[in-house]
Amino acid sequence: MAGGLSRMLAVASNTFRETVRERVLYNLVFFAIVMTLSGLLLGQLSVRQDEKIIKDIGLASMDLFGTLIAIFVGVGLVSKEIDRRSLFPLLAKPVTRDEFLLGKFAGLVFTLAVNVGVMAAGLYLTLLATRRHLDLALLEAVYTILLGLALTISLALLFSVFTSAALASVCTVSVVVAGRFSDVVQHMHEAAPGAPSWLVQALYYALPNFHHLDLKDHVVYGDPVGLPALAALTAYTAVYLAVVLGVALAAFRSRELS
Amino acid sequence: MRPHPLLTLLLLPLVPLTSRAMDARLGTSGPEHEVLYLWSGDQVRRLADGFAHLLADVYWLRTVQYFGSHVAEANSLALLRPLVEITTRLDPRMEIAYRYGATFLAEPAPSGAGDPRGAIAVLERGVENLPASWRLRQDLALFHYFFLGDARTAARILLEGVALPGAPPVLKTLAAEVLGTRGELQTARRLWQRIYEEAEPGAMQDNAALHIAQIDALDALDSLRRALQSLRARTGRWPSSLEELRRTGLVRGSLADPSGVPFEYNPGTGEVSIAPTSILWRRSLAQVNR
Repeated sequence: MAGGLSRMLAVASNTFRETVRERVLYNLVFFAIVMTLSGLLLGQLSVRQDEKIIKDIGLASMDLFGTLIAIFVGVGLVSKEIDRRSLFPLLAKPVTRDEFLLGKFAGLVFTLAVNVGVMAAGLYLTLLATRRHLDLALLEAVYTILLGLALTISLALLFSVFTSAALASVCTVSVVVAGRFSDVVQHMHEAAPGAPSWLVQALYYALPNFHHLDLKDHVVYGDPVGLPALAALTAYTAVYLAVVLGVALAAFRSRELS
Repeated sequence: MRPHPLLTLLLLPLVPLTSRAMDARLGTSGPEHEVLYLWSGDQVRRLADGFAHLLADVYWLRTVQYFGSHVAEANSLALLRPLVEITTRLDPRMEIAYRYGATFLAEPAPSGAGDPRGAIAVLERGVENLPASWRLRQDLALFHYFFLGDARTAARILLEGVALPGAPPVLKTLAAEVLGTRGELQTARRLWQRIYEEAEPGAMQDNAALHIAQIDALDALDSLRRALQSLRARTGRWPSSLEELRRTGLVRGSLADPSGVPFEYNPGTGEVSIAPTSILWRRSLAQVNR
């Protein structure tokens, strides 16, 4: 058990190093430029809305950049190893397919946690530099952004186990976008009264609920979120992750690698 | 055969040259007019779910820039209302967008779009989305009073606002004032003074200051008219100039409006008014002027 965990962590740390080598964290440079410009210019341009806009830009950047990295790096995690044939010697060692896949997942989650953590620090620095209130409640949204990114990585991994990286990207983007519209899906029968309610319900529960995981707008206006809500979101993400990764592991175990 | 890298560099300047030759033959396209590709906030929201507030910020910045540049160049403000509506649909809690958006919309040209009903519709939606905001109710009431001349509705909305948490008790006094216990100009001055004191430096405070200066100008005109009538009753003729009127001692104050532009005087008819060259002159005030 401990050996399995350490092998998984070895794969994870390799994945982290690999993503850093692939200059994934370069998006932070762009983020730094955007935040600096926001801090310098918004005070004059926005008519007393600079603090809100800085927070909106910071949180939206974490979400957007993180999602793009999660999808486009996530779908390549397995396929790249197969294409480069680096997976076969790895699996010949005492590394199981489960450990390999979970290690890849954990490695990218860690990369994105670093990415989001640095961005959050950048957001607070911008607020500090513009003499704005350092609102700790923003961390609630940062946390749920991370939960959402973990879900996105798991979906990217799942699709990449089944199909090519290109098709897996399309599938992941589709599910992530549909998941952001889960409020629309929930009330779909109002727009399409003919749709069977069981189908609407099934679709609603099948799609990842990114709508509820999005707390950006709430925290910017200081709405109380509270621990019970955060605990519910964490529990939902954990269960959904377990299911998606469970299916991905089962599919990866039975996949013919040639 | 591999192309030499220098060849690529040599070819590079040919791109604009051939492009120019192509433009000369086929013609260049005219300047693009400013357009809104999406007219509904709901459409924009659905196109970028999860990033609606970020887009609201983008639209708000665009609204402020659009208003600033078009007012400065005295252009039409046709896109102002849709821009304000899209902003407030994307972020229904952006109070500032309702307040400033309504001010930009309501003021007559050249200070605004001259659409007071559109401004009131924006504020009404603001009150609906932010029912606890007494500031929005105060603005809505004052806009009913100033732009639609509806004192009764204004007083009712002000009294509704008094009950809200954090609302200053002065709203009750304002409600009594708009119902007409004092003269119209005095009431208007008190209301604009209140907006001026409450607003932060910027467009809204400047606008309130302009209105206060206009009211001061109208007050000064009233004094001048009384003095002119009194001189005519005494001498049987209008004075040849306002300077002559001053020499009689009937007028002590300035013969210019608060912006420093001298009042316009017609010795034939005895009419005195704000000069059209003054920043205080408005077409809507022309009736009051005469």
